[in-house]
Amino acid sequence: MGEYALLYILFAPFAGALALIFVSNRQPSLVRGIAASAAFVSLVASLYIFYGYDPVRGGFQFVQKFAWSKELGIALYLGVDGIGTPLVLASSILLFAGIFVSWHIKDRAKEFYIWLLILAAATIGVFMSLDLFFLYFFYEMSVIPMYLLLGMWGSHTKKYLEMTDPEGLKQRDSVGFIFNFGSNSKEYAAMKLVLFLSAFAVAALMGILLIYKFSGLNTFDILVLREQANLMNIPVLGTTLDKIIWVLVFFGFASIAPIWPLHSWSPVGHAAAPAATSMLHAGVLMKLGHFSIIRVAFEILPETTRELMPIAAVLCMFSIIYGGFVAFYAKDTKYVIGYSSSSHMGYVFLGMAALNYISLSGAIIYMFAHAMATGMLFAMAGWVYDQTHTRDIPSLGGLSNKMPFISGCFIVGCMASIGMPGTVNFVAEIMIVVGSWNKYPLQVIVAMLGIVLTLAYLFKMMRGLFYGPMNQKYSHAHDAVGTVDRLPLLMMITISIGFGIFPMHLYEVVRSGVDPLIARITHVVPVAESDEVLRRVKDAAAITNSPAIPMVSNTPITHVSEAPRGGQE
Amino acid sequence: MSFSLNLSFSDLLLLLPEIFLTCWLCVVITVDFVSPRLPKERLAYLSVGGLLATLGCLAWFDMNQVSGTLFGNMFVLDRMAIFFKIFILGSTILVILASIEYVDRFTLFRGEYYALVVMSALGMMFMASANDLLSVFVSLEFSTLGFYILVSYLRDDLASNEAGLKFFILGVFAAGLFAYGISLVYGETGKLVFSDMASAPATPGLIIGFLLIFAALGFKIGAVPFHSWIPDTYHGAPTPVTAFLSIAPKGAALAILLRIFIVALGTFKPTWIYLLVAVSIVSMTYGNIVAIAQRNIKRLLAYSGIAQIGNVLIGLAAGTKMGNDAILFYLLAYLFANIGAFAVVIAVSQAIGRDEIEDYRGLGRRSPFLAFSMLLFLLSLAGVPPLAGFIGKLYIFIAAIKEGLYTLITVGLINIVISMYYYLIVVKQMYINEPIDPSPISISGPMKTVIYVGLAGTLAIGIYPQPFTDWVVAATLMFANFVTPAATVMPPSLLIGG
Repeated sequence: MGEYALLYILFAPFAGALALIFVSNRQPSLVRGIAASAAFVSLVASLYIFYGYDPVRGGFQFVQKFAWSKELGIALYLGVDGIGTPLVLASSILLFAGIFVSWHIKDRAKEFYIWLLILAAATIGVFMSLDLFFLYFFYEMSVIPMYLLLGMWGSHTKKYLEMTDPEGLKQRDSVGFIFNFGSNSKEYAAMKLVLFLSAFAVAALMGILLIYKFSGLNTFDILVLREQANLMNIPVLGTTLDKIIWVLVFFGFASIAPIWPLHSWSPVGHAAAPAATSMLHAGVLMKLGHFSIIRVAFEILPETTRELMPIAAVLCMFSIIYGGFVAFYAKDTKYVIGYSSSSHMGYVFLGMAALNYISLSGAIIYMFAHAMATGMLFAMAGWVYDQTHTRDIPSLGGLSNKMPFISGCFIVGCMASIGMPGTVNFVAEIMIVVGSWNKYPLQVIVAMLGIVLTLAYLFKMMRGLFYGPMNQKYSHAHDAVGTVDRLPLLMMITISIGFGIFPMHLYEVVRSGVDPLIARITHVVPVAESDEVLRRVKDAAAITNSPAIPMVSNTPITHVSEAPRGGQE
Repeated sequence: MSFSLNLSFSDLLLLLPEIFLTCWLCVVITVDFVSPRLPKERLAYLSVGGLLATLGCLAWFDMNQVSGTLFGNMFVLDRMAIFFKIFILGSTILVILASIEYVDRFTLFRGEYYALVVMSALGMMFMASANDLLSVFVSLEFSTLGFYILVSYLRDDLASNEAGLKFFILGVFAAGLFAYGISLVYGETGKLVFSDMASAPATPGLIIGFLLIFAALGFKIGAVPFHSWIPDTYHGAPTPVTAFLSIAPKGAALAILLRIFIVALGTFKPTWIYLLVAVSIVSMTYGNIVAIAQRNIKRLLAYSGIAQIGNVLIGLAAGTKMGNDAILFYLLAYLFANIGAFAVVIAVSQAIGRDEIEDYRGLGRRSPFLAFSMLLFLLSLAGVPPLAGFIGKLYIFIAAIKEGLYTLITVGLINIVISMYYYLIVVKQMYINEPIDPSPISISGPMKTVIYVGLAGTLAIGIYPQPFTDWVVAATLMFANFVTPAATVMPPSLLIGG
């Protein structure tokens, strides 16, 4: 199967969705079986590429290329490098977990799984596209399922549900409901998400079209464009073209990341979404933004990236602090986790902005780590919601008596989210912090503050949900006892802790993708041959700050990491 | 201008589809007269049979690259004409299949309905081949004549009568403009055939003449500011006729617009590009913004159609071969999505009797098939991957960006987002809102066929467009060197069989 692994990962969920169309909702076990087996195929193939990826060789592996439209210069060109591989793995883990998390869904289960599979497949498609057209194709394709998932299976906020008088009901169904009906309904959340993301996606599309036009190569192939496209020094509107393209691409894709101030769709969307959708949304959909920026802006416009990436360094501070404070004061479980996610995505931007080997690797490992941690938290918030039908923290409490397993896992989820040593989040956070210190000390201090904030709001939520006096209204709530219910949580915890203790393979894979990229952007050669991680980090940072050393050859460096066994944990 | 009519048999071969369809039209009318007790759906299948035979003949022409001109260049059969004829015939067949159930609503003249549909299709086939201002005028009016009657076919319905009257008065007005434009152009250049005009100097009379002609054709395709008849006519007309009106005449009129702008006025591109850019921007923006406020699904589709035409005009403004390819491709995507959406509207209105958007409440529960199809058709119209409309829009944008039409593309991209809002409002009604009356909706066999064809086309073009791009690229080959005046002049000998 080897070389076709990517096709299995991408098309297994599509095939599952297609098969589900022909199954009736009256056979729920068959429906769930098909969905789970499609996700399982995807998961197994992702594990295969993750462990089969050869970090010594580096570059794009498992490459598949099929001509798609000669006229437009488009090919279905799939391949993963060290950056895409962990993200593909995270997507299929979350898809597999998400199917089990939503195992008890009763209403139109078949349709739910169809859209969930399409959402996950489209997300996976972005992570393995080597063609700008298909990158956008899958990106936009992942937005529409969100509308239906939120709208059909989502939940309203408390305020909305209170509005049941005839006038309120009439307003809910009016055509212009966005304008005359506040931000509390799931319809509002779904519509806002789609319009917001589409609006910024078309900005990114404009950037892609400009790249296509001015490269003059008649192709959307990222590898060809990054080698041959010369977009520098074309004066346009008082600035240069590459800057315009970069800004379009960066903000177009950063909206899904979501960077402050383009984040407002995200917590609303998280809050309205059903648990499995929130998991995929926060776990991988948001990473599409960072990933697409790396794939398009970093690969094709390296010089501009070096020049303009400080924008991200400034905005990421606001992301971290703003998201953290709002999460602290939010009273809705999913709002807390949603704002926490947008706050944590600021770390990824910090890691990307610092543009050195350690920090960018940290950013990518953080994306993987955050997917696991936030996936756990959303799964458990979903479980609590399913049991109590409320997300209002003040009205909950004392649930640890009723659900010891969930509350135990919740502690682990919180610890992972904070970045406790032993979880993969710690590895990632320490790399981002250490890697960015020399260039952006202020931002690193803000990030530290963000970690403290994370601690505060997650503990506050934990206390509000699981400890203190219990509301007798919810005495019927019960724990996750079945294997099906425990499996997804245990799986994510295992992966989070497993990679926290043995991060080396993940690190090597990521480094093999980061090295050639950073070398192209900063013209700094990566440092190897060092047994001690701290020295190596210092060296890397020192070289970054020194005047750029031009590289002898421009070929991608396939860097063998000799170093740190042990060290970080 | 004088020409002699010495037609050989091989010349007549070029007219074979039209001749055959004319004969078949007579057969349909005769059968209807001779056996009035014949169930009318037999008549429908009879018409579909004839149209399919014509379609087959055209497909054979296309495969063997039959081409040529007739009557002193008045009638041209090139691959683009064949493409548009197939487009028109395909939409006619689907419309007839979609109307079989609906025809029972007509109190009188049920048989003539099919004859009139076929007649309009015949007129539009001539439009696709018209290469001369006179033949354009005659064929245009011939096809519109059928539509005047079809639009007001619901005799007892006030809205239908109003629609017919509005369409008729404005249509005749447009015909007057067209005739006036022809007289000005002929007075200035002394020429009627498009390819002869390419070297004419740009005198004020010529410019005004072409502006008048553009206004008349703009009326046909429903571009702003010539759109005022569209919403009321679409709303009032019998729904299958609305579906027909929203696809086939637009295709036929675009064939003429392509010939006029690319062949006759190819040298004036720097001038007319501003006209097209303005009309395109206004059409897209107006259509999409007004569509947001609509409560009736037919009016919504009418305004969305105006916006779609704005998109098509981006391709025309590009004015390159790739722009032409993109227009043809976009029309194909539009055909499948639009006919499918209207088929769903017809099916729902057969069951419920109304076509307000709020009647679509809970369609996802009442008929998952209809709701899912409608979802895909609307998303295709909005331009969401992996559906046909997305590739169509992207094709047009790529053609336009190669010509540097940045403003137009920016407006087009913003409009995609605006249009998504009102399409999703319908999706919200279908899927998110719960039905008031949860009884399931049944669909007739022919209607299912139409929806399946629409779905197949929408998905096939979206997922693997290569065969379709190949087809449109081959269809506009005649325009490959369109800047030269002799672009449409065919080789003297007929090319039959390769």
